[in-house]
Amino acid sequence: MRPTLRGRALFLLAVAAVAVWSLAPFLWQMITSLKPAAEVAAVPVRYWPSALDFTSYIQMFKARPFATYIWNSLVVGLGTTALTTALGVCAAYAFSRLGLPGGRAALIGILGLSLFPGTVLIVPLKMLAAKAGLLNTRTGLVLAYTALNLPFAIWVLKAFFDRLPKDVEEAAWLDGLSRWQTLWKIVLPLSAPAVATTAILVFIFSWNEFLIAQTLVSRDAARTVPVGIAMLSGVTVYEVPWGQIAAAVVVTTLPVVAIVLAFQRRIVEGLTAGAVKG
Amino acid sequence: MTDHSRAGAVNWLYAAPALLVMGVVSLLPIGYTFGLAGEYHRFATDTRFWPVMRTTLSLTAVTVALELVLGLAMALVLWSPFPGRGLVRAAVLIPWALPTAVMAMAWRWIFNADSGVMGDLFFRLGLAASPQVPWLADATSAFWAIVLADVWKTTPFMAVLLMSGLAAIPDELYEAAAIDGAGPARRFWIVTLPLLKPTILVAVIFRAIQTFGLFDLVFVLTGGGPGGRTQTIAVYAYDVVFRYQELAYGCALVVAMALCLVLMTGLMLGVSRGRGAR
Amino acid sequence: MLRRLAPVLLIIVIAACGRREPDDGKVHIRYLASPDVGGFSKVIIDRLERAHPELKVDMVEGPAAGDARENMYSTAFMGKEDSYDLAYVDVAWVPKFAAQGWLRPLDALIAPEKLDAFLPGDLEGSRYKGKLYRLPVQSDGGMLYYRKDLLAAKGVPVPRTWEELVAAARKTRTPSIAGFVFQGKQYEGLVCVFMELVWGFGGDLLDAAGVVRIDEPPAVAALTALVDAIHVDGIVPLSVLTYQEEETRNVFQEGRAVFMRNWPYAWNLMQKEGSPVRGKIGIVPMVSGPGGRSAATLGGWGFAVSAYSRHPNEAFKVAEFFASAESQKLAFLKGGILPSRKALYSDPEVLTAAPHMKDLGRVLAGARPRPTHPRWPRMSDALQMHVSAALSGQEYPADALKAAAVEIRAAAAR
Repeated sequence: MRPTLRGRALFLLAVAAVAVWSLAPFLWQMITSLKPAAEVAAVPVRYWPSALDFTSYIQMFKARPFATYIWNSLVVGLGTTALTTALGVCAAYAFSRLGLPGGRAALIGILGLSLFPGTVLIVPLKMLAAKAGLLNTRTGLVLAYTALNLPFAIWVLKAFFDRLPKDVEEAAWLDGLSRWQTLWKIVLPLSAPAVATTAILVFIFSWNEFLIAQTLVSRDAARTVPVGIAMLSGVTVYEVPWGQIAAAVVVTTLPVVAIVLAFQRRIVEGLTAGAVKG
Repeated sequence: MTDHSRAGAVNWLYAAPALLVMGVVSLLPIGYTFGLAGEYHRFATDTRFWPVMRTTLSLTAVTVALELVLGLAMALVLWSPFPGRGLVRAAVLIPWALPTAVMAMAWRWIFNADSGVMGDLFFRLGLAASPQVPWLADATSAFWAIVLADVWKTTPFMAVLLMSGLAAIPDELYEAAAIDGAGPARRFWIVTLPLLKPTILVAVIFRAIQTFGLFDLVFVLTGGGPGGRTQTIAVYAYDVVFRYQELAYGCALVVAMALCLVLMTGLMLGVSRGRGAR
Repeated sequence: MLRRLAPVLLIIVIAACGRREPDDGKVHIRYLASPDVGGFSKVIIDRLERAHPELKVDMVEGPAAGDARENMYSTAFMGKEDSYDLAYVDVAWVPKFAAQGWLRPLDALIAPEKLDAFLPGDLEGSRYKGKLYRLPVQSDGGMLYYRKDLLAAKGVPVPRTWEELVAAARKTRTPSIAGFVFQGKQYEGLVCVFMELVWGFGGDLLDAAGVVRIDEPPAVAALTALVDAIHVDGIVPLSVLTYQEEETRNVFQEGRAVFMRNWPYAWNLMQKEGSPVRGKIGIVPMVSGPGGRSAATLGGWGFAVSAYSRHPNEAFKVAEFFASAESQKLAFLKGGILPSRKALYSDPEVLTAAPHMKDLGRVLAGARPRPTHPRWPRMSDALQMHVSAALSGQEYPADALKAAAVEIRAAAAR
């Protein structure tokens, strides 16, 4: 069926609306970050700076070691993503395919874990990290984030595995592949879209996380981006340097945008390759 | 060739690493919280508990409902092929990729009563009498400001999850429906929606859980004001534990939160299963 | 691609493992503070380490927001960790921290006559149940800023009572210039503003005998005055309900308000080159109501010694060094940090650099700490919420304070 011209126009309008809705607040940060200090809080609102001014960016990198923060966030984010996806795929496969006795109860229990808001668990978490010598380390953050993300990862991946046709795997078993090989060689390639989606969401979670990072890490060497941004400050405690905060938001978003773009191809491929139809 | 379900107990090994991490990093602190919880009689006399609960529930209902509708629309738009789709998909992920704690600052700036861009936009569109709109000074508009900021941030999550669900729907079903003479709207109702239901359920449950525990957005944007009308249960529990140092009651609040979530999740699963059986 | 990437990622995780600090044989004293923007803390630490070679001070620069640091200290102390030897604490945290047993009493470590040099309010705010828990390093107090030029243009004298403030604001405000702005968002700052008026109207929240008096007529009169200023007199814009310190300062600095309640920090920023109100502003202590005396809510910071520190005596040495007159003078001249020592407000060097310090000294001499009760956070939250509800028109002033009093009494009784 060929879409009508009007349908096409409406569709493009919808695309534009989605893009504007998603980008507008971020673009506003970008504009704010490029304003000269005097125009940031100007009344009436200035929609475009009179001159592009990069002072906020310079000040932000001077004020805090943001290069270190970005590196830490990347390490923690990638580490969490790798660990969560690896453990999550194995567990979800087991729950979906291997007929675990008591598996249903365990799944519900896992879901139950995610019912607890992280905000209130930080006291015991910190004591635990202190005992394990994981305070002020990226490893500590990776472990905490992995645990917090696993319920989500397992549920999403299991839901996906459940919908995969079983005959391919059974054929693989008949061919003499072990369960491990089946998972690695057959199921994983088929579920690339779900794994990629999960990985992206997990990465973004760890990139964003603030409260645990602030609680477990109090040194620049292991500090992540959100906490770094919260440390931007004026000369006094009351001052809020809006320009610098906006600049920090822009700079720290760029790596994520790059990663999203890089993985984007992967998702699109996976989604459109009709992996499910085998 | 082995019967894969007979060796069930051994298959737990696949799930063991994930369970171990969750057990140590999530379950232990949760157990600790349960152990500390007490003073349950105070629920009866606590004048804050019910107002806070009401705010949290209405916030959850409104936010998740809006997100589902918008997320579904977004997923459908981004699912159909069009030139530049990869870029738009990446753009849509940006809100989710920004640290909540930091974006909450940005929203506070956008809703700023004096130099906020939101008031200025409303004024230019003729919807406000002056560009200085004190959004966060009024209980109702403050509530909607939180809803907007949360919906903006988390709709991409919904859309991505729903897209992975869309990927699993075989084209043949659409083709068959089209041959039966079903138009696009009808195909959406009889093919897309029913087959998307499991994904929708997972997405809604996870989002409901997250919104119920909403913390940083409220904390930064309104601080629970004005007059305590936007305080959520997570913010309250956090205050009780950290600011008031009433550990026993604070942990009891956390336990109550978890119970609410168990109830909510059970209800949603029950409703969906009841529908499915029909 | 994913499969090839996975091992690489795992290696990154393993490589990211933390390292321990090298042992240099010195006693390390750790504390958490706001980011050291002016760099003056590092200068003081350098001097200290030269004077005491056996000590090494690890200043951990925490988030700028005070409540974030309060919670970081709380989580550390709740776990009885020795990760901080000193706590750099706000005056409002002292009772809570002390009541939890997180701090070490300092009375045995310092001669009483040495304490006379500090501002009385700062000292009072450092005590809990008669014991000293903190050495004040930085003072802070609320005050009234006004626009000299706007008042002069209308021939209005600087107001000293609430009535005069309302009248002056009415005469000088215009559609684009508000009469009076203050911190009206629901947060600790609102309580600071409100308490200044309650004291100014002759009322109190919690008197010396521990009686809750916030629902008595003077307090109700103070809240009614504040509510009327918004809804009846129209001298205060409704947007103050969203203001913290910075929003308030921005409005005033942009020239869009005649009067402002704020802390001393705003002064330097507004007198900077390029500020629209530079040279046009003055400060006085907050106005008072009928039957009361002008008051300022005390803010301010100081060092307390952690009960879990393994080096309490060394930690106290560091606190003393920071509280010394030389260090405080340096912090003021380099970072604008207000001293807690009386003498510095008449110090010739200080006055040359900042003539307004004389006025400030007057304000801070009358500054009063908020009630030193271990349940203060609960009490403050109850008060914030109901005052905010009254300001936004959800509750009547008398009812709001009655409800607040019930909650505060319940908190006090627990």
